[in-house]
Amino acid sequence: MGHVGRTTLKMVEWILLIGVGLVFVFPFLWMFLTAFKTMPEVYQFPPSWWPESWQVENFRKAWSSGPFLTYVWNSLVVAVGTLILQFLIGVPAAYAFARYRFKGKNALFGLSLIALMIPSQVIFLPVYVQMSHWGLVDTLWALILPFGASAFGIFLLRQSFMQVPDEVIEAARLDNASEWKIMWTIMVPLAKPVLVTFGLFSFIYHWNDYFWPLIMTNSDSVRTLPIGISMLKAAEGGKQWNVIMAGNMMLVFPILVVFFFAQRHIINAFVYQSK
Amino acid sequence: MKKEEIFVKKFQASMVACVLSVTAILAGCGTNQQASGGNQGTTNTAAPAQTTASAQPASDKPVEIDFWYALGGRNGEMIQEMVKKFNETHKDIVVKAAYQGNYYENHSKVLAAVSAGNQPDVTMVEVGSIGAFADAKVLEDLGPYTNGAESKYIPGLLGNSYWKDKLYAIPFNRSTPLLYLNRDMLKAAGLDPEGPKTWEELREFSKALTKKEGDKTSTYGFSTAIDIWFYEALVFQSGGSILTEDNKALAINSEQGKAPIAFWTSMLKEGIMKAPPGEKYNAWDVAKQDFLNGQVGMIFTSTGDLRGLKENAKFEVGAAFLPANKNYGAPTGGANLVVLAKSSDEEKKASWEFINWMTDTAQTVPFSLESGYMPVTTEAVESAEMKAAYEKEPNFQVAVKQLEYASPRPMVPGYKELQEVIMTELQRAVMGQATVEEALQKADEKGQKLLKK
Amino acid sequence: MRKAVAAPQISGISNPTKQQVRAGVTQAWMERLRPYLYVAPALTFFFLFFLFPIAYVIYLSFFDWTLLNLEEMDWVGFENYSALLAESDFHQVLWNSLVYTVSTVVLGILLSFLLALWLNKKAKVYGVIQAAVFSPHIISLVSVAMLWMWLMDPQYGLLNALLEMVGLPGYTWLAETKSAMISLILVSIWKGVGYNTLVFIAGMQSIPRDIYEAADLDQSPWWRTLTRITIPMLSPTLFFLLVINTVSSFQVFDTIYVMTQGGPINSTNMLVFYIYEQGMDFYNGGAASAASVILLGLVGILTFLHFRVMGKRVHYQ
Repeated sequence: MGHVGRTTLKMVEWILLIGVGLVFVFPFLWMFLTAFKTMPEVYQFPPSWWPESWQVENFRKAWSSGPFLTYVWNSLVVAVGTLILQFLIGVPAAYAFARYRFKGKNALFGLSLIALMIPSQVIFLPVYVQMSHWGLVDTLWALILPFGASAFGIFLLRQSFMQVPDEVIEAARLDNASEWKIMWTIMVPLAKPVLVTFGLFSFIYHWNDYFWPLIMTNSDSVRTLPIGISMLKAAEGGKQWNVIMAGNMMLVFPILVVFFFAQRHIINAFVYQSK
Repeated sequence: MKKEEIFVKKFQASMVACVLSVTAILAGCGTNQQASGGNQGTTNTAAPAQTTASAQPASDKPVEIDFWYALGGRNGEMIQEMVKKFNETHKDIVVKAAYQGNYYENHSKVLAAVSAGNQPDVTMVEVGSIGAFADAKVLEDLGPYTNGAESKYIPGLLGNSYWKDKLYAIPFNRSTPLLYLNRDMLKAAGLDPEGPKTWEELREFSKALTKKEGDKTSTYGFSTAIDIWFYEALVFQSGGSILTEDNKALAINSEQGKAPIAFWTSMLKEGIMKAPPGEKYNAWDVAKQDFLNGQVGMIFTSTGDLRGLKENAKFEVGAAFLPANKNYGAPTGGANLVVLAKSSDEEKKASWEFINWMTDTAQTVPFSLESGYMPVTTEAVESAEMKAAYEKEPNFQVAVKQLEYASPRPMVPGYKELQEVIMTELQRAVMGQATVEEALQKADEKGQKLLKK
Repeated sequence: MRKAVAAPQISGISNPTKQQVRAGVTQAWMERLRPYLYVAPALTFFFLFFLFPIAYVIYLSFFDWTLLNLEEMDWVGFENYSALLAESDFHQVLWNSLVYTVSTVVLGILLSFLLALWLNKKAKVYGVIQAAVFSPHIISLVSVAMLWMWLMDPQYGLLNALLEMVGLPGYTWLAETKSAMISLILVSIWKGVGYNTLVFIAGMQSIPRDIYEAADLDQSPWWRTLTRITIPMLSPTLFFLLVINTVSSFQVFDTIYVMTQGGPINSTNMLVFYIYEQGMDFYNGGAASAASVILLGLVGILTFLHFRVMGKRVHYQ
């Protein structure tokens, strides 16, 4: 036992680690490889691992199957627009909840936490009917407004604002700074880490979202990238998995790249919710 | 309108005004939308879309109409090309085409859009749904626009165009199911390359084509998605119908309704037929892919797949009538073009002009030859161009010939939901999760509920 | 933590003039109003897009309506509910939702707990593997669904190729009633396990080290440390994950819509997809809104439980 036993154990653990890693990474690799294959290669069994020749053509096909530039643009507008709105609405609310005492504060704060727990899938039907009354269905507003106030964002910012020492604010008040100014020029910069965290979380969520645009949009001019990608599915003579996977890469790759460089931040952004 | 609704609406309107003023800070958003959009009536968010649509004054500006289609891939590209050509030749009309996914997806999109007031002016609608949409007063009666021009279409394709004696839909990409054959495989097995003519022959052919390696089947003789459309075909072939004559109940809990299920089940049991996995069109895709790869010898699929299959197959593709039980029979299928009732008069006029052009002989002939869908005008079928093409490629004529035995799809409003119920029950019976009797009994009960509406 | 500060008093003014007093009064009013003004936009949004829709869907569920004629709704009382509860398809939808939820939550949490115990170490490899396990969580569900649909293709998919390589028969995956649900559960676990694992790890790292050191001194065996220290200390985390995972598995839609459309034979039809199908496809607004209310009730109960337990923690912060 002793030394030899420990090395074998270490070996076994390494093999297991690699195995677990592969379970989660290999599907992405398979997406990548499929995206470069020809149709006959795709429909070959057992499958070939490596594409015979790298078919960049698949990406062109996916890209030209719809107005993909518009889809990408819309995805960005929705993700960034939502974030800006959440920021503008969330900062004052969080500031009030963190630093003021006022009647009904707890009740109102509790009320906004309900929003944290109700997923949009649960109430899409009445929201859709509302949106249709307002004539907002099939506009980018329908994708942005319902997420305009983020309970999670307010919650995070409130925590962060509460940790700012009173002296900092007192000092600013002595300088005759207005409350509004204190909030935006002193508190917000101090909360930068939380803002980055929340920004990543919100952006990724809305970049990825499929359900809401599926329900709310009908026209190419307001569709987002996930919808465009999912429309690659239909074609006669069998599914063109190579083209579908090429389209998928467009949606997945940017996120994976960001994840690669900002791993810690992103993991924090998502895991923070639990703390 | 009821009082509380007025209240709700007023209240909502004031609230939304409130929110919009807050969000107006997001000016960047609004401009972005305009830059990317060009979807009329959607950027001026505060006004309800319904009122803006009909208030356009007549002017020199071309009329813009939105057109939704539900064909992807090569067929979809062809539609885009046709629209482009229309726009080039019609300076007073601009057609904007948008792809909406398959028939199912298109259906729910149209429904949702009508309720939201941002519906297209022209859309493709799967023939079985025409009744539901017409009954809900979503569609425009085309009679006043056509002035009898509908007589140019093949009568057999107009079965799903009328609802309560009014013309609501014009045939566009029309299909029937066909039996596709891998002729090379049939010849190699010493079978008639023209294919089986009856159910019994289909069974014999399938048996001869099925190949086993050990206990694994490498080639199945026959494959079909367990789909409502093919079931309708087999019921018609057995001399039955889906609905009773008054359209008030299902007629499939009968000899004629049971025969198709019994036929499929017995072939599956013998191991000479494959029921491709997947839901709805996924199963069709699998059947087509198996066929192309030589893993099944014969499949049922739409005429619309003819070109796609021919181009991708490395063997001789044959098309034949669906085999007969008591008689030949097939439903027609595919989609019709409709005009939506909510559009303005000007848009409706332009829409009819567009539909008329899209379905005219000059367009339907090349569309048919490129896709395999049937030409829709009588003139087209008799045209020299079509005849020459049939000469060269007899497969393309099979669908038109089969029309003689074809019937329209049921089109009562509840059928959209009912057909999914029937499909589920069919699959249950075929997969052995229920007896044929239980399955049909359940479909029947559900049918009575849905058809009463 | 720190107490919230009261609205600031105007200080440093001595012997105010009349004008200053009046200004002071309006300003004091302003200061009292200020917090409400600050929270008003957020609350307006919550009201418009959460509270009002909740009330509205309950209201709608008492009518027979379709998206096509919202102007002509017929009051039907509880008929939508009684029809829904009598519907055998809906029973199956509820059953499917239950099976899916229990499986994804229990298996997902168990698996991620084991992973967390294993991967909660300092060396760099563990960090890399943590990131790998987490990566599916930030990928769009629609991409995940299409990717797995391709991997699970019964004929040309990678998974069956791998099974065959090791001499096992291919699996039916999405093609059959029994395997389709299992496949969806698998995809959900694959996507979510990384998140759960990292939440567990964060929880484990916040357990004070000295407790473990004390246990080491007592020479307590590893399993006792696990059951007496780690698991009890993690109970808030565990509870949080239970609620979050349950709520998110109630809202499953994308994978169903892309991969199975609720089939084969309704075997993967679950609540949100059912609502979508009834409301947007079959013209049954009544059934759809009644089903929405039922789903809302389920989520509501969970939320309530969550706050009952979490409430204390929120207050102590």
